[in-house]
Amino acid sequence: MTRRRIAGLTLPALSIVGFIALWQLVVELRGIPPIYLPAPSAIAEALSQMALDGTLWINLAVTVLRIFAGFSVAAVCGVALGLLMGRSHIVAQIADPWLAALYPLPKISLIPLMIIWLGTGETYNIAMSAISAFFPIVLSTYAGVQQVDQGLVLAARDLGASARQIQTKVILPAAIPHIFNGLHLGMGVTIILVVAAEMIGGSDQRGMGYLLINAGQVMDTDKVFASLVVMAVIGAVIMKLQRFIDRRAAPWAVNAGASRE
Amino acid sequence: MEVRVEAVSKIWSVAGAAPITALDTVRHRFPSGRFSCLLGPSGCGKSTLIQIVGGLEAPSTGTISIVDPANGRSAPVGASSIMMWQGLNLFPWRNVIDNVAFGLEVAGISRNERHQRARTMLATVGLNGFDRHLPRQLSGGMRQRVALARALIMERPILLMDEPFAALDAQTKIVMQEELLRIFEATRKTVLFVTHAIDEAILLGDEIVVMTARPGRIKEVIPINLPRPRSFDLVNTPEFGALFQRVFHLIREEVTRAMTEQAA
Repeated sequence: MTRRRIAGLTLPALSIVGFIALWQLVVELRGIPPIYLPAPSAIAEALSQMALDGTLWINLAVTVLRIFAGFSVAAVCGVALGLLMGRSHIVAQIADPWLAALYPLPKISLIPLMIIWLGTGETYNIAMSAISAFFPIVLSTYAGVQQVDQGLVLAARDLGASARQIQTKVILPAAIPHIFNGLHLGMGVTIILVVAAEMIGGSDQRGMGYLLINAGQVMDTDKVFASLVVMAVIGAVIMKLQRFIDRRAAPWAVNAGASRE
Repeated sequence: MEVRVEAVSKIWSVAGAAPITALDTVRHRFPSGRFSCLLGPSGCGKSTLIQIVGGLEAPSTGTISIVDPANGRSAPVGASSIMMWQGLNLFPWRNVIDNVAFGLEVAGISRNERHQRARTMLATVGLNGFDRHLPRQLSGGMRQRVALARALIMERPILLMDEPFAALDAQTKIVMQEELLRIFEATRKTVLFVTHAIDEAILLGDEIVVMTARPGRIKEVIPINLPRPRSFDLVNTPEFGALFQRVFHLIREEVTRAMTEQAA
C-alpha cells in the first residue's frame, strides 16, 4: 500500500476518534450539564440500553420498512411514468404541468393534508415516503429517455430492431444512469420525509422519528443523540448500498471517463 | 445490388427559418459490386444522401430503388443495406460480442449461434480476444473493427459508410483502409463510402462521385481504374498523383465557393 492509501484509510478513522475524545474531554473538564450536551460515553450507554431493551430495533425496523415500502411504490410508478412520457408526447404534455407545479412544492407541506385524508397510521407514513420519492424519479427517468443518443436509436433501427426492441434494448439501458440518479435523489428525500412524518403524525408511536421527538420532549438528550447517530449510520449505509448496486447494474456508466484497461 | 438514385432532393424545413436545400435533384446509379466514394465539402449532403439510400431518412422528392442487375428485380429500400456510422454508434453498455451480435439478436437468432457467428466475424475483421470488453475499454481502431463486424454480420449486399475513419490517427487509418480493401475485394459488396479525404477516395474507390457545396448536386463522376487488389503502396504511383491533382482541383473550387458563401 502506498503512503497515500494508508492515509486514506486511517485519516477518516482518526478524525472521528479524535473528535469523540475531544468531546468527552471538554464535557468532563468543563462540567457541561448532560441535558445540553451529554458525553459520548453517556450516549453510548443510552444506545446500548436502547439496543438491549429492544426499542432501538423495533423503531429502526419500522422506519426502514416505511422507507422501502414507499420508495418501492415510487420507484415502480416513477420509472413507469417517466418511460411513458418519453415514449408518448401526449402523456408527456398531460403530465408536464402537474410535475412542474408539484415537484418544487416542499413535500413536508403535504403532511397536514395527508393526515386529514389518511389519518396518522401506516398508510400516511408510506404515502409520504412514496410521494416524496416519486417526483425526482419521474423527472430523472424522463430526462434520461429524452437524452438518449439518437444515433444509437438509428443504428438499432438500421440493424433491424422493432420499435418495441428499441424501447427495451436501447432506450431503457441508455437511460439507466439517469434512472439510478433519480433513485438516489428519491431515496434521499424519502428518508427525510419518513422521519418528519413520524415526528409530526405517527399515532402508532413507533419509528425513529417518534423516538427522537419523544426523547426531545422529555429532555432525554442522550437518547436524542443516540437516535441521531443511528439515523446517520442508516442513511450512510443505504447510500453506500445504492452506489454498490449502481456499479453492478451499469458498470459502463461508472467512471465513463476512465481510460481503457 | 445496384443503387439507383433518381432525382432525389432533400429540403430541411425548420420552423422560423428559411428552408435549406441539402440535396438538389441528385441522379446516379451506383453500380453493383463496386466501391463508390462520395466526396465533397462539409455540408454538401453526402451523409444525408446515404441515409436516404439506407431508408433511414425520407427524400423530399425523387426515389431510390435497389435493383438486382442479374434479374432486374428490385428490393425494398433499407432491407438490403447496412450502415457504418461516423460516430460508430456502438452500444456503450454492451460488450464487444453483444454489440456485434445485436442485429442477429433482434432477428431472434439463438444466443449460441449468434455468438458463434459474431466471433467468426470478429476474427474476419482482425479482433480476437476482446469479446467481453466494453467499447470504452477499446482503442479507436479496435472500436472501428467492432462497428465494421456489426455491419458485416448482417450479410447485406450494400454497405453504406459515413466517414468511418475520419476520427482515427493517420497510422490506424491506413491499417483500417487496407483492412477494408481486403474485405471488399473478398466480398464484392456494393459500397457507398462518404469521405472528405481525396487520397482515401482514390485508394478505396472504383469511382469518385464529386459533390458540390450546398445545395448538394453531383458535379462530376471520376472513374478510378487502378488495379485491384490494392494496398497503401498505391499512393506513391504516378497514376495516383495524377488522379489526386484532378480531384483536388474540382474540390478546391467547391470548398472555395462554400467558404465565400458562408462569409457573405
